[in-house]
Amino acid sequence: MSAHAPSDARWREVQRLRSARPRSRALRWSVVALALLAAYAWLAGDVALADFLTARRLANLRAFVADEVWPHDLAGRAGDLGAYARWALARWREVGASATLATLWISVAAIVLAGAIAWLVAPLAARNVTAAAPFGEPPRHDAARRAPLFVTLRWTARGLAILMRAVPEYVLAFLLLAVLGSDTAWPAVLALALHNGGILGRLTGETLENLEPAPLRALAGLGARRRGVLLFAAVPMALGRFLLYFFYRFETCVREATVLGMLGVVSLGYWIQDARTRQFYDEMVFLVGLGVLLVLLADLTSAVARRWLRRS
Amino acid sequence: MTARFAPRRAPRATLLAALLLAGLLAWFGAGLHLGDLVPRGNGTAVLGEFCGAALRPALDYEVAPPPGSPPLLAKVLEALRLTVVFAAAGMSLALLLGTLLGFATATAWWSEGAGARAGLGARLLRRVGAPSLHVALRGVIAVMRAVHELLWAVLLLAAMGLNSFSAVCAIAIPYAGTLAKVFSDMLDECPRTSAAALRASGASGVQVFLFGLLPRALPDMAAYAFYRFECAVRSSAILGFFGFPTLGYFLQLAFANKHYRETWSYLWALIALVVALEVWSGALRRKVVMR
Repeated sequence: MSAHAPSDARWREVQRLRSARPRSRALRWSVVALALLAAYAWLAGDVALADFLTARRLANLRAFVADEVWPHDLAGRAGDLGAYARWALARWREVGASATLATLWISVAAIVLAGAIAWLVAPLAARNVTAAAPFGEPPRHDAARRAPLFVTLRWTARGLAILMRAVPEYVLAFLLLAVLGSDTAWPAVLALALHNGGILGRLTGETLENLEPAPLRALAGLGARRRGVLLFAAVPMALGRFLLYFFYRFETCVREATVLGMLGVVSLGYWIQDARTRQFYDEMVFLVGLGVLLVLLADLTSAVARRWLRRS
Repeated sequence: MTARFAPRRAPRATLLAALLLAGLLAWFGAGLHLGDLVPRGNGTAVLGEFCGAALRPALDYEVAPPPGSPPLLAKVLEALRLTVVFAAAGMSLALLLGTLLGFATATAWWSEGAGARAGLGARLLRRVGAPSLHVALRGVIAVMRAVHELLWAVLLLAAMGLNSFSAVCAIAIPYAGTLAKVFSDMLDECPRTSAAALRASGASGVQVFLFGLLPRALPDMAAYAFYRFECAVRSSAILGFFGFPTLGYFLQLAFANKHYRETWSYLWALIALVVALEVWSGALRRKVVMR
């Protein structure tokens, strides 16, 4: 910046703008705190870097990549792709196809159910809907008396949504399995539906709160009741946003549905865990690969749907 | 643009109908029956006892532990600490990798590149080299992210054996993929006005990127990274189910031993941690993004 001597008026203006830029102390301290936390995590000695690349582990890794992930009957012919394809096709017919389909159905059922849960939670959690005077409608004579009721209702809904999304799907499924048993897909479906319902409920609730208030207020001013404004104005206005979030969560749902099988529900994860305990790592890696293909397919579907939604 | 008189909701209605149909298909495909929602065997008893324990989490062991064990609360705190440690280590590694990959895959590098005076080599790089690298990196990122952190853990366990760094990598790899994808999208989607101004005044591609695009996208990127840290804490807790000493390990053990009140001690610890992070990140997001 030698072209701009400090005496240069332009340079002083740059300095002035720089010192007037918006700054937030909370943000600055948060960044410092998180950086310190990261440093602590690496230096506390709980993450044993030195133990990671020992000679024994490297030998394990070499054996795993060069030998164990390749089918047993391909011994010595690891590069024979035709033989691998035949082996893969046999595995696909054996368990792969049905497990992949089961994973897909579990995730679709779960995300649709999560969407339904979200629409139950969202209006209850939204400040402009669950209020004594909804949508800025002129307050009734007993509004002050009824206000605490709505505040309680709103915070109950919010609290439930927080609980649902704070507990990871895997833990929910683990707990539900003990109650419902493993011969039904419900533990996986319910776990995914509850967790994602909590997330979608919060996002949809925020969408409802951030809607353009004027049209809603106009309807309320004309005498429309809460129910009417919600169903015929607020929900249609929020629907596009909701669907964007819905498809974004669908991707995650497919990923998680694969993994929940490891607890005992029959999805891809069940067979991955099965191959793992038998130490058939060739099958394990093949099934993980099927999971990857399914997730990539779901990614693509949801990307196409979201693009379509943005355009419409 | 011409005015559109057709109702805008038409495609959404189609989409909603398709979703309901898909849900119906999935209902039969997954073999769901409403009757299976009723607990069976001793499920009812487990449900009753477990829910009954929710409001009275254990503050001390339910059954006397072997002599020399630390107090239960100390154990919970240690599990909580390790959950945060693995999450923070994994997340910091993911942030490093994800930022690099995200910058590399953002199209703004080359689509916003230097002007027509660039030489043949630079033009070839921009027309052929950069786009093909972009596609290849996008593929790598997609696979990193398509494998769930628990499956990365399973793969690393099979390949390397149980080791604390495996847990860090299991979090770092998929999270780096997600961060890279979201970061590159944010960089590509942020307003290009200041970038255009810089380019008009003769800045190079790298300068345009660093001073025109990055500052615009940075608040969103930071907010998203913080949100992912919250997710990393949940992932870290779950890695305990595979033998790592985080909350999931102790939670699973306590539940298997039918110590439901102890299970809730770990569960409430996890919920408190996640909610605290959510409140923190929510407050920051309101400050940073909605400014």
